[in-house]
Amino acid sequence: MSSKALKIAATCVVLLAALGGLMYTTLADGTEYYMHVDEVMTNPVKWEGKRLQLHGYVNDLRQRPNTLDYRFQVQNNGKVITASYSGVVPDTFKNGSEVVLKGQLHGEGFQVEPNGVLAKCPSRYNPNNAGPVGAGS
Amino acid sequence: MASFGSFTLLATFVVAAYALTSSVVGARRRSTALIASGIGAFYLTAGLLTVASGVIVRAFVVGDFTIKYVQHYSDSVQPLAYRIASYWGGLDGSILFWVFLLSVFGSVAVWVNRERHRELIPWVVAVIAATEMFFIFIMAVHNNPFDPFLTTVPAEGRGLNPLLQNFYMAIHPPSLYTGFVAMTIPYAFGIAALVTGHLDDSWLRAVRRWTMIGWLFLTFGLTLGMLWAYEELGWGGFWAWDPVENAGLLPWFTATAFLHSVMVQERRGMLRVWNVTLVIVTFFLTIFGTFMTRSGVVQSVHAFGEDHWLAGVFSVFMVVIIVFSFGLVLYRLPLLKSRHELDSWMSREAAFLANNWILLFSAFFVLFATMFPTLAEAVSGRRLTVGPPFFNKWMLPIGLILLLLTGIAPLLAWRKTTLSNLLTLFIWPVSAAIVTGAAVYGLGIRVWVSGLCFAFCAFVFVTILQEFVRGAAVRKGATGTDVVTAMIGLVGRSRRRYGGYIVHVGIVLMFLGFAGQGYKQEAQLLLKPGQQSTVGAFTIRHDALTVTSDQQKQMITGHATISRGGAVIGRMDPAKWFFVRHENEPTSEVAIRRAPGEDLYIVLAGYEVETQTATYAVTINPLVDWIWFGFGVLAIGTFIALLPESAFAFAAARLPAGAVTTSLLLLLILLPSVGRAQDAGMSVAPVQSSDAKRKLEGELMCMCGGCRAPMNNCPMAPGCHGLRAQEPKIDAMLAAGSTPEVVKAAFVKEYGEAVLLEPPDTGFNKLAWLFPYAVGAAGATAIGLVAWRWSHAPADPAAPSAAAIGAAGGDPTLEEKLDDELRDLD
Repeated sequence: MSSKALKIAATCVVLLAALGGLMYTTLADGTEYYMHVDEVMTNPVKWEGKRLQLHGYVNDLRQRPNTLDYRFQVQNNGKVITASYSGVVPDTFKNGSEVVLKGQLHGEGFQVEPNGVLAKCPSRYNPNNAGPVGAGS
Repeated sequence: MASFGSFTLLATFVVAAYALTSSVVGARRRSTALIASGIGAFYLTAGLLTVASGVIVRAFVVGDFTIKYVQHYSDSVQPLAYRIASYWGGLDGSILFWVFLLSVFGSVAVWVNRERHRELIPWVVAVIAATEMFFIFIMAVHNNPFDPFLTTVPAEGRGLNPLLQNFYMAIHPPSLYTGFVAMTIPYAFGIAALVTGHLDDSWLRAVRRWTMIGWLFLTFGLTLGMLWAYEELGWGGFWAWDPVENAGLLPWFTATAFLHSVMVQERRGMLRVWNVTLVIVTFFLTIFGTFMTRSGVVQSVHAFGEDHWLAGVFSVFMVVIIVFSFGLVLYRLPLLKSRHELDSWMSREAAFLANNWILLFSAFFVLFATMFPTLAEAVSGRRLTVGPPFFNKWMLPIGLILLLLTGIAPLLAWRKTTLSNLLTLFIWPVSAAIVTGAAVYGLGIRVWVSGLCFAFCAFVFVTILQEFVRGAAVRKGATGTDVVTAMIGLVGRSRRRYGGYIVHVGIVLMFLGFAGQGYKQEAQLLLKPGQQSTVGAFTIRHDALTVTSDQQKQMITGHATISRGGAVIGRMDPAKWFFVRHENEPTSEVAIRRAPGEDLYIVLAGYEVETQTATYAVTINPLVDWIWFGFGVLAIGTFIALLPESAFAFAAARLPAGAVTTSLLLLLILLPSVGRAQDAGMSVAPVQSSDAKRKLEGELMCMCGGCRAPMNNCPMAPGCHGLRAQEPKIDAMLAAGSTPEVVKAAFVKEYGEAVLLEPPDTGFNKLAWLFPYAVGAAGATAIGLVAWRWSHAPADPAAPSAAAIGAAGGDPTLEEKLDDELRDLD
């Protein structure tokens, strides 16, 4: 192998290793687990304090009068988690809507982080994609 | 009509198959007649697809709800423009629209190049016809937009998703598709060149122009997408690293890389394999982007619905593209040998190489991060996702480096730059960057990314200005005219070079807008009529809430009066619209007050009709309008670079002046109140008292002893004794002017650390955050050192030392270099 090819190969290896290592270190604190409610509830203690994206259906939505504080339940396949959130919610956020909540599970429920409510957007590609609507209301 | 449409699609498939076969056979047998008939059939596909498009558009216009697709995406009350836009509103129609555009573009490209690149044309026809067949196959078998209802026909359509009933959304997808589709043409020419072995640089010329057009539309589409997200989605931002957005960004990176590296091949005959690869990868990424967004392979909140059949078909197609294309590249490798070697790392080609690597890395990174959830699930069975913070952590530094390179590359000469030249050229740009950085710091912006970005913007802008001035001076000396004429002549003489610089100015302006995001302010205000609250420099008073309706929708509108510095400056009326049959998907009609310094952006986030209470989500977006304006400048630059020889000879004197006028007009449209620019809010917003309290209640535990929940989440609220004890303390302290930190400290003192929901942000956390950058910097330095060593490795005794270069006066060489470049750049 010529020395030029060696040099190129070495550069590539060094670059890839540097970037790979860098990616790995940053990835660790950038990830969130994407879980359905029932998956979390099989072993809730394990998930406490981890960054989660919780997928489920809203139920029993209540708002404290004159505030932007919400308490509600998210459910999926019969399992329920109580969640709380302060802030502005999306238009499609209401009882029965399918949501993905970013936040952390604590002893008493799921604390949604600011701007952490993502209501599944009605897609232009699948307008008839109603999805299973959660029980309640 | 539906069956006629389906029939047309099938006919197109057959004709495309004929075009493919007769072109390939004709090319191999050197039969002009067969090739000509293949080209004829190819034109015919464009005609047939135009007919098919006509059928679907007619169905939308007259409201033919017997066709499923029409019924799904339109209704009879929709305005005409949106009924037509519904054509590309759904999956099936968007594929038809895609093929239609491809056939038209392909025909134009074949027509334009039929004489110039005679030997390539049959293969170009074959490649495009094959791509058309793939998409028509999908429609015919799986996603036929002409599918009728077989049993009962609904009387009314469901209507286009209200979010899409927006001007930008009506033109954003076509623009993005146009960009995507235009990238097929370079690919077809590239494959044709590989197959025929005509790999001299002439195919590049055919390709360059199409890539530039595609690139312009892609940029336009991405910008419109941002504008749409900003105006319609109501979250105050414009980019969220959603898979759908990323899909459009991926080919943009590689196309940008190609537009730069193609210059290196033209000038120096280097990077030939690299350029072919970029063309192939760009095309692949357009197909991959389509695959990603349509097949549901990537989890996205946009929920495109999983479609395994589509995913499978696309996968096969993509594998075929990769194997076939790179197989050809390997086969032709001997013909793609570079004519030159890299002379020095201090050269323009090296800078272009760096730019290419970074752009390609960006594409790779975005692809990786977008696909990460899918990959992670495949590998570990766990669904892990990465959010915008991860993207930002990587793409902010990358963007800054690219911006810096935009400034550095034009200062470097081809082949080798001497140090003295470098010093003369860098002195002004670097001073400008330092002054800007200091000024930004002095103005009180303490966001280092934004500050750095502003400094780099100044650097790049002065570099470009310097290039114009130097070029004009040289030309003035040569022709003896005044500066303005010299500059116009300069642009006319090397349009690609100076058009490119104008594009860079546009990019710099867009970066200004991105940098502004670093210090935007957000607040949520819950107001009763008559109440008011202050965000940044603006005071927002809620006046009333009204409920009105028209035949399409019901509208809830909040009316607010905005004042600044005590003086009323206007009214803003954000609203929520509930479209008929889409009552569960209200749209937020954002009220935006635009200004060059900062946008005031108000969304009616919530309301209570009985009490007339409104919740306003207020965002102050600094400099955001410069993104849209920057795109205008970028488009003008691209047009100049695209102008053909003859057109320019005719308009040489007039066009740049016209361009300036246009950009000034654009600027005026965007800047309703120019005078506001100076005092634009560099101040940090006083924290809303209610806001601070709410935040504190999320950060402090309720100490009632039973709930272990934050105060805003106590299950016993509002009657909880813990809350009753804690809340007044917060109120009292905030009223006394304490900052949230002081309140927290007081609470810790009283209740112990347990009162805090999260452990305090220790020094170690900050260090952990800094770590990746430190590693990155160290890595870059190491690579730089290694590269420097290698480029100096064959110790050239003739190479002068740095000091010797510094001592030699650089001016005559500089003039020579400039003259040389001006002579033969285009």
